[in-house]
Amino acid sequence: MGTPITNPLRVGLRQERVVAPQCLVIFGASGDLTGRKLLPALFELFNQRRLPSEFAVLGCARRPWSDDEFRQRMADCLSEQIKEEPIAWEKFSSNLFYESVDLSQPNKLIKLKERLDSIDRLQATHSNRTFYLSVSPKFYGSGCRALSNAGLLNDPRRSRVVIEKPFGRDFVSAQALNELVQSCGQESQIFRIDHYLGKETVQNILVMRFANSIFEPIWNRNFISSVQITAAETVGVEERAGYYESSGAIRDMVQNHLTQMLALTAMEPPGHFDPEAIRNEKAKVLQAARLADEIEPWNCCIRGQYEKGGTKSSPLVGYRDEPGVHPNSTTETYVAMKLFIDNWRWQGVPFYVRTGKRLAKRVSEVVLTFREAPVHLFDAAGGSPTSNQLVLRIQPNEGAEFRFDVKSPGSGMRSRPVEMEFSYDQSFGEPSDEGYVRLLADAMLGDPTLFTRSDEVEAAWRLYTPLLELIEDSPWQLPIHLYESRTWGPAAADSLLAQDELIWRRP
Amino acid sequence: MSPQLTLQTPLLLPPNEIPSYLDQLWTNDQSSNSGANTFSLLIWQPAWIEQQLARTGKISGPIIGTQSNALIQAARQIVLDQDLPHCTSPFDKCITTSLAKLSGANLVDDLRGQHIAASISELQPRRLITLAPTLKEDTELETLVAAYCPLPEEGGGQNACGDVVVMRGNIKSIEKGLNILEPLIPEELPSWLWWNGNLDEAPDLFNHLASSQRRLIIDTALGNEHHCLDLLKTKIQNDQAINDLNWLRLRSWRETLAMVFDPPSRRNALNNVVQLDIDIEGSHPVQGLLFAAWIADRLKWELTKCLQTPEKSFQAEFHRPNGSLVQVLLNPLPVGKPSIHPGQIVGMRLICKPEEPNQKDVCVILGAESGECMRLEAGGMASMELLEELVPMQSANVEMDVARLLRSSRGTTSPLLAAAAPIASSLLNMSCSD
Repeated sequence: MGTPITNPLRVGLRQERVVAPQCLVIFGASGDLTGRKLLPALFELFNQRRLPSEFAVLGCARRPWSDDEFRQRMADCLSEQIKEEPIAWEKFSSNLFYESVDLSQPNKLIKLKERLDSIDRLQATHSNRTFYLSVSPKFYGSGCRALSNAGLLNDPRRSRVVIEKPFGRDFVSAQALNELVQSCGQESQIFRIDHYLGKETVQNILVMRFANSIFEPIWNRNFISSVQITAAETVGVEERAGYYESSGAIRDMVQNHLTQMLALTAMEPPGHFDPEAIRNEKAKVLQAARLADEIEPWNCCIRGQYEKGGTKSSPLVGYRDEPGVHPNSTTETYVAMKLFIDNWRWQGVPFYVRTGKRLAKRVSEVVLTFREAPVHLFDAAGGSPTSNQLVLRIQPNEGAEFRFDVKSPGSGMRSRPVEMEFSYDQSFGEPSDEGYVRLLADAMLGDPTLFTRSDEVEAAWRLYTPLLELIEDSPWQLPIHLYESRTWGPAAADSLLAQDELIWRRP
Repeated sequence: MSPQLTLQTPLLLPPNEIPSYLDQLWTNDQSSNSGANTFSLLIWQPAWIEQQLARTGKISGPIIGTQSNALIQAARQIVLDQDLPHCTSPFDKCITTSLAKLSGANLVDDLRGQHIAASISELQPRRLITLAPTLKEDTELETLVAAYCPLPEEGGGQNACGDVVVMRGNIKSIEKGLNILEPLIPEELPSWLWWNGNLDEAPDLFNHLASSQRRLIIDTALGNEHHCLDLLKTKIQNDQAINDLNWLRLRSWRETLAMVFDPPSRRNALNNVVQLDIDIEGSHPVQGLLFAAWIADRLKWELTKCLQTPEKSFQAEFHRPNGSLVQVLLNPLPVGKPSIHPGQIVGMRLICKPEEPNQKDVCVILGAESGECMRLEAGGMASMELLEELVPMQSANVEMDVARLLRSSRGTTSPLLAAAAPIASSLLNMSCSD
């Protein structure tokens, strides 16, 4: 008998919350996200017995599909999962429905309301609804307005709206969008999704910090000399050139995902584990964050763009040669920057943030570097003493490692660094749920802990406003540095750290 | 958290006036509020030990029906005074029996049903109905009613309110007055019955209250073991939602044991278990049997034999899926100061002997305290790969356990309990038939 794939003693021990009877309405149901992320996540929740029998998914888009056509298309998207659970899919798919809806046509919304009422009767979903706006960002505001005008957001306890990223293009547009959506419903009804917050390892930042008494006393400027936050991708822009050309790395990755990691890493401990207590602390720390040089942002930010690269046998084209990209594009596919947080905990500690496409490795991590020992009593085997580092690995190889010095074996007293490791794989051996599984369940449960609140979003945009304005008004001051595909970004990014006598960690 | 009192002094009303009074309360007095839209909880609250302790002057009262420290301390003192075995739990039935023999006629206030544990009140039950049987057999039925609003300790009042109804009298008078119960239980809300007493007392009343659509909360640590497990098994077979606090208290043992085998490198040992020893406090075996049954179910062992020794130990044999033998021993220990719940597990040992050459035997020891771990290490265990963990002690009182259940339950029976209870029942029945 081989090693059991799952721990048989673990089965059934997790006390997961069960979603209340409800209908999930997905606008943009014909889009890529629905088949690739949302439906697989819902099917997973169904298989985990976390969806009640009184449940329905209503797909909405302009295309004139029937319920059966929608079910078939979703079945095509989930063919791999269905192979493993064909009976479960039969049951699950009977809860899928489709309605052709154009959010800009009020009469269609009346029809939608009628359809929802009939689903309530059919599936006993008690008018409890979650509306998921998986549509183009330009329809977020008008979509909410249309739902509100149709009376579909009237009951704050029974209706919620989930809004995908990006939430606005800058501080001003985010503020305007917040005002608009808040005029359609209460803040408690608005769930701004950032799928990074659905990752087990991102949530683990909170648990590591606040469930262990050893970290928090040293989690501050007295012991930590710098923090690096990296989200590196090996892929290029792929089929997203249209969107990416108008967004770039700052809007696509930094303002949301990396800033959320920054907030979780730097926030103060909340009084209790409560959505508002946590979001208050996140908002506070983001409000205290600033670019290292707001007057001359070019001193603290490097933008880059990937060039061709790869090998002879598998060459990679440069960004400007990608289909859909302007040949003279100045959109950044890489950005590195230095930030400070002006509060008692972090004053003077630099936070270095970087993200890029077509980098050498796919990796996301937070690295806390501790101050050097005040006196070096021992010779370092590597020539110079190394600082302790705590690495929180977000993906892949999820886990954490702590680097510290030990005595190198032998007669002398030389020190060398070693690593102490925690790996989710080795400790738990079971894959974590996809971020969307957690986030969809939380949205339907009405739990906003892992969703960004309006003030958080605005604080995040405000943080990068000097950069975005500079790129808009005088882009030559923040030039694009080209870098070869599958390298660690432009040399200028290394110089950003070199001026502080630091180097980027090579994960 | 301290218990919360009802906002108004409970009103003593004739039983037949209670339903109309409550209707009036929510329609007239609180026109903007029709009460919490949560659940109703019916509580059988005999508090026999507390009543006996109050009658004999061992505690000063009032009787409130919750497990206070003073009550536990007084009950433990009875174990010493009456020369009962030291491993007697403070809520064991034999304490009531001993107290019943003592003289005394102290009268104290009976506030059962009027003190609501904060852990329960914060869930905002719509209606709490307490059945409070009295020791005196000549007490006629009294019915009291009051509205309450939970006030969170952090401050900030909430609109959602509920009410409490108390039916107090001797068992016969309560049985006679049951006809007012049904109209009092809101049909549209989930309805729970918490049988906060021995499972083998007042069987007719229990059967009447435990109607099929009601969700049950029982404690199989209280009452005859056969009765407890038979009841559990029958209700599961009948597909009635049943929750057992004795099973709930096993959660840290289940979690800790599962945690040991979370790393994939250790999982192979689960295919090679040859021996399982479980130590329990005193002689009430249900929790130990449920724990053994859970492991057997999860590892797909088949029960072949079980017998009980004169020392009240259970010796069982299971077969693993590959036909190999697993020996299971459930061992009662005479512990000095036992937990307030009879028969709680204090230690377990799992021995795995891999059939593959060059693989070391593995011994997993879980103990409620390090002394128990050391005891289980004896007998050559140190030569194996030893994995030891201390299981966090459960400090929650029964009200907190009930609140946890009400908060997290889907309203159905736990599938793990549903699978384990029939095996535990077979273990017990087989041990008697041999």
